[in-house]
Amino acid sequence: MTEVAPAAAPESAYSALRHLRRTRQLHRLGNIEWFEAAYRVYLLAIFGGGSVLWISTSVKDGIAAPDTIADVAAHAPTVLGLVVCFALLSGLRGGAQGGPIALEAADVVHVMLSPVDRRRALLRPASQRVRGAMFSSATAGAIAGQLAGRRLPGSLLAWAAGGALFGATAALVWAGSALLAHTLRLPRWVATTAGITALAWQGVAVATDIPGPADRFGSLGLWGWRQHPADLVGVGLSLAAVVAGFLLLRRISLEALARRSALVAQLRFAVTMQDLRTVVLLRRQLNQEQARRHPWLRLRPARSHGFNSTVWRRGWHGLLRFPGTRVVRLAALAATIGVLHGATVRGTTPAMLGSALLCFVLGLEVMEPLSQEVDQPDYNDSYPVERGELMVRHLVAPLVALVPLSLVAAVAAVLTLGGSTRAIAPAAIMALPTLWGGVSGSIVSIVRDAPDPFSSTKQQAFIPPEMAGFSTALRLLLPLVISTLATCTVLLPRAALRNGDSLVGAALRGAVGSLLVIGAVCYWVKVRDRVRVKIRQFMDEGRSQTSAQRQQRSQA
Amino acid sequence: MSAALSTHQLSKDYGDRPALFPLDLEVPKGQHVALVGHNGSGKTTLLRMAAGLLDNSGGEARIAGHLAGTQPARTALSWLSDTPTFYDDLSLWEHLEYIARLHGVADWADTAESLLSRLHLGDRRDDIPTTFSRGLRQKAAIAIAMVRPFEVMLVDEPFVGLDQAGKDTLLELLDEVAAGGATLLVATHELAFVHRVQRLLALRDGALVFDGAPATADVHSLVLPA
Repeated sequence: MTEVAPAAAPESAYSALRHLRRTRQLHRLGNIEWFEAAYRVYLLAIFGGGSVLWISTSVKDGIAAPDTIADVAAHAPTVLGLVVCFALLSGLRGGAQGGPIALEAADVVHVMLSPVDRRRALLRPASQRVRGAMFSSATAGAIAGQLAGRRLPGSLLAWAAGGALFGATAALVWAGSALLAHTLRLPRWVATTAGITALAWQGVAVATDIPGPADRFGSLGLWGWRQHPADLVGVGLSLAAVVAGFLLLRRISLEALARRSALVAQLRFAVTMQDLRTVVLLRRQLNQEQARRHPWLRLRPARSHGFNSTVWRRGWHGLLRFPGTRVVRLAALAATIGVLHGATVRGTTPAMLGSALLCFVLGLEVMEPLSQEVDQPDYNDSYPVERGELMVRHLVAPLVALVPLSLVAAVAAVLTLGGSTRAIAPAAIMALPTLWGGVSGSIVSIVRDAPDPFSSTKQQAFIPPEMAGFSTALRLLLPLVISTLATCTVLLPRAALRNGDSLVGAALRGAVGSLLVIGAVCYWVKVRDRVRVKIRQFMDEGRSQTSAQRQQRSQA
Repeated sequence: MSAALSTHQLSKDYGDRPALFPLDLEVPKGQHVALVGHNGSGKTTLLRMAAGLLDNSGGEARIAGHLAGTQPARTALSWLSDTPTFYDDLSLWEHLEYIARLHGVADWADTAESLLSRLHLGDRRDDIPTTFSRGLRQKAAIAIAMVRPFEVMLVDEPFVGLDQAGKDTLLELLDEVAAGGATLLVATHELAFVHRVQRLLALRDGALVFDGAPATADVHSLVLPA
């Protein structure tokens, strides 16, 4: 055991690797609950198919007008090029942060530290990653393609195939850029700058007539209608990037692999459990987003040592350590929410759902002090205050932090509405209340995750299986429904605009509606534990009375 | 003849926080070295960089003359971590088989049997190590690290979680490793262990503050933070 090592025998090592991978695959297959897997596929087919059908019905059948077709022919490649540039930015940034491959932690230590050729050992997980990305992206492309095919010349099948080709190529761009950024060890700022430059250039190309860097890639999206062989250059380039990435796999960083292995395993578990809050949190960790060592501003020493002031200061201590990337992301989210609200007012009703979803995500980001409190039950159970009182106070600092973001959203909404001066007052009135209301869903999601000292696991285990799927769906959807309820108030100014009513009056009514939602949620946070205790007492009393009555009857 | 472990201006920083200042170090073949320091002094960082598990911020580390992390360096090196990692679908015996075979060892079974017996894990060989207690996990990791051949062994806090019998067995095994001609670098807080080695290295806040014979050192003061 301690003899000086002989030269390793590579072929036997590779055969061990193959043998163990096969054995482990068999173990995993043996552990699959086939009935449950079939049930999941069934659910996916129902919801996925239903969603595609629902989207399809929103697209009218019948060929578009000739000028629209000409417009698509002229501009679609440039617009679709934006998607490719976004994939490039995402790939470059992901690669610079250690992506796209994720191994098991044990593989990092045992296989990567063994004398097997790392390129050979990594080829399989890397190609699986690329294949997976290509499959999902091609599927999305095919769905989008067949939707476009309903209005544009060409058969639906050709459009679906063209969309799939475009999607697969975008995935290759993402995977190739990620592999190259990682193996070439691109510094993060270089990767971000390169990606943003390409995206900005393409953005300028969309707005003007100059050619964009990804026009050829975008042109692939129209292959259902017309084919330009020159577009295949894009496919070739992206394939070459992936192959180059594979050839450089020996240069992969074990530090990044080790860091990602644990996080990706947790991320997959969180996705399986439909735990959106944990997904957002782990995505941040995966991107190595850490709190700033030096806060943006230092708070002055506390003058008051009361309960309110203590929680308020704790909130700001956390918020003022948000890293720059997170602040930019929050601003971008707020701006997009504003754009979607503007689009809703202009008549695109589904944009309201998008804005609700983004409000939910914004809430998960900005409600960090509350999340931290929920994640530390040992601490907050030891405080000499009622948990509901503590949590409701944790909402104050984040809600105040939303004020500047509401300005961003208001400006974006006004610009989306063509910069009309009539839009300024309603946007100013509604921006903050709709943001506050919109983040209500995330508050519910966070607070609901807090360990419940009043429920027993026994009680949860008694949920009948028929109800389990429904309760899971409800658990996932309820916060989103609350966010949607609070943001659908933007429909009021739209109705006023159509009916010629007062816009300001409609905006005021909408703002009150959104404020009612956030008010109700805050109240729920405050009294949730108390109400649960009362319900529990009520149930216990009922049970004891029933058992006493039974005893009396049996004695009689 | 190249050193078993050498570093040249090896450094590591996490953003603006240096974890290890540029370090020049040479450990000859067969030497038995202890590495001490307070929590956060840079011991684990140094060992993980030498193992190729952490990227260097500067400089380089070499194992048996080969750059850390390269194939020949991995052949020569065995790494025993303070946080053992296992596959959650392989038994201990399957772990030993897998890792021995990855290192090209054909007749691994006798060695594995002997290691498990000495570490009192014989009756747990068919169990999944991720389900073990802290101490048993550490013992399993020791068996895995020693079932394969190596020239250099890097060990991080090996005594944590071990009972006295486990500690004694580990000390015996490490003595055998040293007697077999392998080089040992052991990071530890067990100051009693320090007197069994030929050379002592002490890190404080990422800098090497002592390099010499353990007999000449005031070990207790070396492990205090600045």
